[in-house]
Amino acid sequence: MSDQAATTRMGPSSPHALVWLSEPVLALVVFVLLALLPIFLPGYVIYILPQYMLFGLMAMSLVLMWGFAGMVSFGQAAFFALGAYTMGLVMKAGGPINPGYIGLLLAALVGGGIAGLVGYFLFSAGVRPTYFVLVTLALSIMMEQIAVSQSQITGGWNGMYIDRLSLTFGRFGAVSLYDDAPMYWFVLPIMAAIYFGLRALVRGRFGKVLAGIRENEDRLISLGFRTPLWKTAAFALSGALACFAGALYGTHASFVAPSLGGVLFSTEVVVWVAIGGRQSLLGGLLAGIGVASLSNFLSAITPQYWQLVLGVLFVVTVLFFRGGIAGVLGRLVERHAGGPRA
Amino acid sequence: MTPLIRTEGLTKRFRGLLANDSIDFAVETGTVRCVIGPNGAGKTTLIAMISGHLAPTAGRIWFEDQNVTDLPVARRARLGIGRKFQTPTVFDNLTAYENLELAALGAGRAAAARSHRIAEVLELVRLSDQAWQTAAALSHGQRQWLEIGMLLANDARLLLLDEPTAGMTAEETHATGELVRELAQRLNLTTIIIEHDINFIRDLQAPVTVLHLGRVLVEGSFEEIARNDQVRDVYLGNA
Repeated sequence: MSDQAATTRMGPSSPHALVWLSEPVLALVVFVLLALLPIFLPGYVIYILPQYMLFGLMAMSLVLMWGFAGMVSFGQAAFFALGAYTMGLVMKAGGPINPGYIGLLLAALVGGGIAGLVGYFLFSAGVRPTYFVLVTLALSIMMEQIAVSQSQITGGWNGMYIDRLSLTFGRFGAVSLYDDAPMYWFVLPIMAAIYFGLRALVRGRFGKVLAGIRENEDRLISLGFRTPLWKTAAFALSGALACFAGALYGTHASFVAPSLGGVLFSTEVVVWVAIGGRQSLLGGLLAGIGVASLSNFLSAITPQYWQLVLGVLFVVTVLFFRGGIAGVLGRLVERHAGGPRA
Repeated sequence: MTPLIRTEGLTKRFRGLLANDSIDFAVETGTVRCVIGPNGAGKTTLIAMISGHLAPTAGRIWFEDQNVTDLPVARRARLGIGRKFQTPTVFDNLTAYENLELAALGAGRAAAARSHRIAEVLELVRLSDQAWQTAAALSHGQRQWLEIGMLLANDARLLLLDEPTAGMTAEETHATGELVRELAQRLNLTTIIIEHDINFIRDLQAPVTVLHLGRVLVEGSFEEIARNDQVRDVYLGNA
């Protein structure tokens, strides 16, 4: 009980000025370090990191649902893959306007639309978080199955190749993102902007209402809130973000296959967020990047045991550090900051 | 003077049990009403139907001449019907300030007016010094006050208080009575209180409605009720 209270206080509702201050500062430091990385570490790292940053965006889309609204989703990878397929189809179709732009925009709209629709019907019917988990799990299964079965559109098991997008500025020319460094510079600021945007959002009215839903939905209804609409909005935003990140991922990886949207990958996202801290956007973002990097590293040095290592990490976090890494760090900061603000 | 809240033949049947049997009940604006009765008399059922948490089997509920019988809980809250539950129902892991802030957000105030109102309410419910403590860390009595404060920040005009003094010290109970009277006199708020504490009810000097077996047994001042033989029988178990 006291442990839970302590970890939750780290979360979206912390009254401690230092905790609030330190997260965006830490984020800024990390983003600047990432921005400098290509100078020191050219090559594979610069190729692969943007993909992990996009995983991090997907992780933040789950933090929004899980940490703030209090509902776990096992469907984030479904939206991620949907975004990648959307991007692929739009890029294939071409058109007079830069299809890369259209693909990104459409992915966000499709993801937000589907999540909004599913959410509206579920939440209006008063579905409990437990059943919400099951429905999102079904979304992952459906996404993978549809990607396999509709092979004339999706390429089935073989997957779909997707062109890298190019940035065009009308009369002012164009920038190709075919090389890894420009793509890196393109994805990084998008990630940073989305982090700061989401952070502003959850610190305002939206985040406060979601925290209220997580803490005591009945009380919130009795205060006049139409909570189904707020939950629908949260899921729509979460779906839009995951789908948008997926679209960028698709064009970056130049390839998408059905397993990208499956249950296994969706579960991995839940693991990242549990490890990073489900109530911290930065925790989720960095855990997405970090755990994906760690998986990559471990699978190279110990192909047979790396999943076991991750599994143990997950179990230890869930058992002993319910707020994840962000929760532990937050508590340390709080201890050094002294008591609560008067 | 037209009543702020009025029920008309309000009935609630749970399978075989008639929890509320055709209750006609009205409370005027700016007044306090105590509802008492032995366990199972239907007090909480009545409150829950007025707040919208229970749908009546029959009958109608009027709030300021508007029929609210079929409105959902959230709509009634926005009209100004606020309910404090029997066990304190607050956001445990949020601070007292944040609890009130959410309530004020529900009333749709602009940010500046909101913080002003929250400070005002904190003062009223004596939680100014606890503003940055989580609700879980407050005493039972303070949590009761916090929930009442949330109704105020939410701009409720009708306060439904289900056993507000449960778990309070004598001093806190007394202060709660003063708060309720002050809300009626200074802010013209209307309050319906379910209570068991007989001293609290006497101190309130408010009209009392006695429920028994889902019906209104008698209504009157505290002195009238205390003298009433029927009421005495009901409480002693002879009726």
